Amino acid sequence: MSFDLSNKKGLTRRKVLVGGAATMSVLAAPAYLRKATAATPIKIGIPTVITGGYAVLGSHVMRTAKLVEKMRNASGGVLGRPIEFIYKDTKGEPADCVRKCQELVERDDCRIFTGVVVSSEARAIMPKLEEWDAFFISHGNGDGRLTAEFYVDNFFRANTSAPMGARALALYLKDAEQKNFYAIGSDYAWGHSSVESFEAQITKVGKNMSGTVFAPVGNKDYSTYITKILQSGAEGCYVALQGDEGRAFYSQAQQYGLSDRVQMVTEIVSQANIRALGDDSVGLVGGSRYPFTYENEANKNFLSAFQAEYDGEIPDWTDGEMYQALDILFKAMENADSDETKKIVAAMEGLEVDSVKGKTLMRECDHQGENQGFVVRVSDMGGSEPVPEILKIYPREMITPDCRSTSYSS
Amino acid sequence: MLGAYIGYTVAIYTGSFFLALIIAPILVACFGIVFEKLLLSPLYKRQDGGAYLMVTFGLAVILAEAIKLTWGADPKGVQIPEMLRGIVIVFDFPFPKYRVFLIIIGVLMALSAWLFLEKTRIGLLIRAVSQNPQMVNALGTNVVFIRNLVFAIGCGLAGMGGVLAAPMVTAFLGMGSSVIIDAFVIVIIGGMGSFLGSIIGSLLVAFVLVFGAYYVPDLALAIIYLLMLIILIVRPGGLLGKEE
Amino acid sequence: MRFWLLLGTAILFSICIPFMVPYYAMTIVIAALIWGLFAMSLDLLVGYTRLYSFGHVASYGLGAYSSALLILHFDIPVPITIFLATGIATLIAVPITWICTRTHGVSFAMLTLAFAQLGYAMLFRFKEFTGGSNGLPGITRPAGPFGLDFFQSKIGYYYMVLAFLIASFLICRNIVNSPFGKVLSGIRENEMKTQALGYNVRNYKWFVAIMSYMFGSLSGALFTPYAGFASPELFFWLISGTVLIMVIVGGSGTLIGPIIGGIFFILLEHELSEITQLWPLAFGTVFIMFVLFFPQGIWGIFTTISKKSKSNPSESGHAHS
Repeated sequence: MSFDLSNKKGLTRRKVLVGGAATMSVLAAPAYLRKATAATPIKIGIPTVITGGYAVLGSHVMRTAKLVEKMRNASGGVLGRPIEFIYKDTKGEPADCVRKCQELVERDDCRIFTGVVVSSEARAIMPKLEEWDAFFISHGNGDGRLTAEFYVDNFFRANTSAPMGARALALYLKDAEQKNFYAIGSDYAWGHSSVESFEAQITKVGKNMSGTVFAPVGNKDYSTYITKILQSGAEGCYVALQGDEGRAFYSQAQQYGLSDRVQMVTEIVSQANIRALGDDSVGLVGGSRYPFTYENEANKNFLSAFQAEYDGEIPDWTDGEMYQALDILFKAMENADSDETKKIVAAMEGLEVDSVKGKTLMRECDHQGENQGFVVRVSDMGGSEPVPEILKIYPREMITPDCRSTSYSS
Repeated sequence: MLGAYIGYTVAIYTGSFFLALIIAPILVACFGIVFEKLLLSPLYKRQDGGAYLMVTFGLAVILAEAIKLTWGADPKGVQIPEMLRGIVIVFDFPFPKYRVFLIIIGVLMALSAWLFLEKTRIGLLIRAVSQNPQMVNALGTNVVFIRNLVFAIGCGLAGMGGVLAAPMVTAFLGMGSSVIIDAFVIVIIGGMGSFLGSIIGSLLVAFVLVFGAYYVPDLALAIIYLLMLIILIVRPGGLLGKEE
Repeated sequence: MRFWLLLGTAILFSICIPFMVPYYAMTIVIAALIWGLFAMSLDLLVGYTRLYSFGHVASYGLGAYSSALLILHFDIPVPITIFLATGIATLIAVPITWICTRTHGVSFAMLTLAFAQLGYAMLFRFKEFTGGSNGLPGITRPAGPFGLDFFQSKIGYYYMVLAFLIASFLICRNIVNSPFGKVLSGIRENEMKTQALGYNVRNYKWFVAIMSYMFGSLSGALFTPYAGFASPELFFWLISGTVLIMVIVGGSGTLIGPIIGGIFFILLEHELSEITQLWPLAFGTVFIMFVLFFPQGIWGIFTTISKKSKSNPSESGHAHS
């Protein structure tokens, strides 16, 4: 009985080996034979999350990129050339992200990246940028260390980082009535980075921390944590939970009546979460990476174009930051009059742009974009969904950390 | 996951959470029947557990994508009906009414499932099929029908779970994959094929999770696996299961 | 003899691949080979003793993190690193597999899963060491030994992976064709009977589990210098499911089948995601069709075709067994 095994095996070894190879080449052929066409369009790689847990953020990245592509190409493109975005699905996994970027470089000869969703993905490709001679501008990676201890020459961050979000909040809470704060964060890079910055800054302005806790990634039931927060006697609670976790936490906090007793503050207020939570989100105070209610010329243009394209939908923070990053990127390319990595880097250092978030300076020393800090409160303004109402705007000098650092000396 | 999304849609159109709670599980169960008839039933004669695993895996991949196409990638919120909002005070501590409602529904569903399995003729047949399908078939019962029914009930209950979970976590892509492993662990800890076992298993897992998260938050991720490890080493068949 | 001829042809073909496909394509080809090796390692357990491991990712992750840490802290030449990392991971696997092989069936599957999940949790627990959710980026391919820098290049690394794959295949093949392997098949077909014949079934199972984990960690150890970093995703439970599927799609109990399954799976996913953003739809459909219409796996298709085209197939089977 057990010996028929070898029989079956011997039969067709050649066919299997040859066949396996054939399968491989058949599969491989279509994509590998696609040759890069004439180099006229400027290619920009978007290794983003199309499938997987962060697909919401990836979908925002892509819708804004598509809008920008349309707008830019209608008005003559960049450097007189059309732009072309190449989307790759990284599934939110650093391993796939590195592989897809490598392919963008080697196959498509594409050396400009943006739209990477997860900080650990950004962290994984950054050490490779020099070898690839590639340029990478972050539109939304929050981990403060990317422009501090992990700094590399070819990386820039246009967006507000986690410490900057926490900073704006801390400045705001300085004058608040709450004395004691509790912090709950997601047990991964961004969560830790946010909670640590918040803790450091809130104690500096003379408030107390009653405790911190980190919930595992993907946690669904927050009753235990809510109980802890209630018991701690804190009057305010800082929340650094991303997408799914954040929504679960706010819904349950509302159900427990926690939101009535404790002022919730968070680093990123996201429109997708507000929409899903509905009235449960009203009253939430938070930093905002991009409040669509900000009024300036650039944002007015973006907002009207976005809503015309997408049925009056409200742009989320990722949309605004993606738009800003692309805006800065194109400005630098035009100043450099080139799409070569080294020249873009040189042109971007010290570049100041009138962005959808006000004047943004890409500072030279650590390639962090100096952004204004926004603090908002989710309010019901009579529209179809609650919206962030801007409470306070802090100047960018107060918000941006010390050079190549995640902390603030002043 | 499908349950949560359908529940969301029904709740939006009818404005009633309770209606969603009834309609969504029925729709999911219907979907389960079609899926079972079309894709799973050809596999029964193959006697190969791996095949089910793979077909259901393939379907999960397709379904997740289909949900994204239908409802979009943005999360969907389901509001709790007014009467279940608010809190009750238990031992000086606030406890949400919605959770009380969940406990009641949970107990009711468990009780009726138990009664169904133990006290009805169909329940008897289901237990018989799980032990010896050939024999039941020989005795003139339609095994195919029984399997279809069980699958439909399973899908319906899972769909109901999805609707019930939606107000707590909102409906989002990927809510399914995070649940499946917990469900698996519970069944294993309790012992496969033991109904009482899965109830004890789920209580135990919930207990350990909650207390673990409270007292040793650092180990929150590991704790249910430690529990499973210990139980399986001591009792390889699970708490109330028989070792094969 | 026939076997060696065929193997030789296959090896020759594989050696030529870098000259046949564009340079960029080698990235995914290397990934496919590593996955092929990983799937084959699981086949030792699944195909030869019918022990379904749901936690095989543990071996992969252990191998990957071992080689990552070795390179980051000691900068040892790549091939040596891989041997050392595999050794370390295998040592860790010895007690784990001992506990797991005390059981069988579903309990075995869940125990392996439990250990894999504990490993995953430990990555977050000991952040200073493992980098937590950040993982460990910036892993290079140190040159050497003997001043050799061939393995640093992508093509060089491809050949190294290929060599490891072929060697592992031959070793595994020897194991399953040896008298030892016959006992394993005996355990698969009838555990009680084999036990009654006087074999210590537990030790056999333990040994094959160690071997399986060893080759699994080898594939993991090969992965980090290739990808340039290690991250907790390498320890995530979904990978255990994926690799199990590769084994079954390829055809379990054949060693070569799962290698092809792994390669097929990776290339299919990659190609589909290139063509359309809706690739999961196509992927899932292809997948279900496969299971429904080709129950014996990819290997099985070739077997069937060959049976039809050949009148006397049993001859060659015994030639090398």
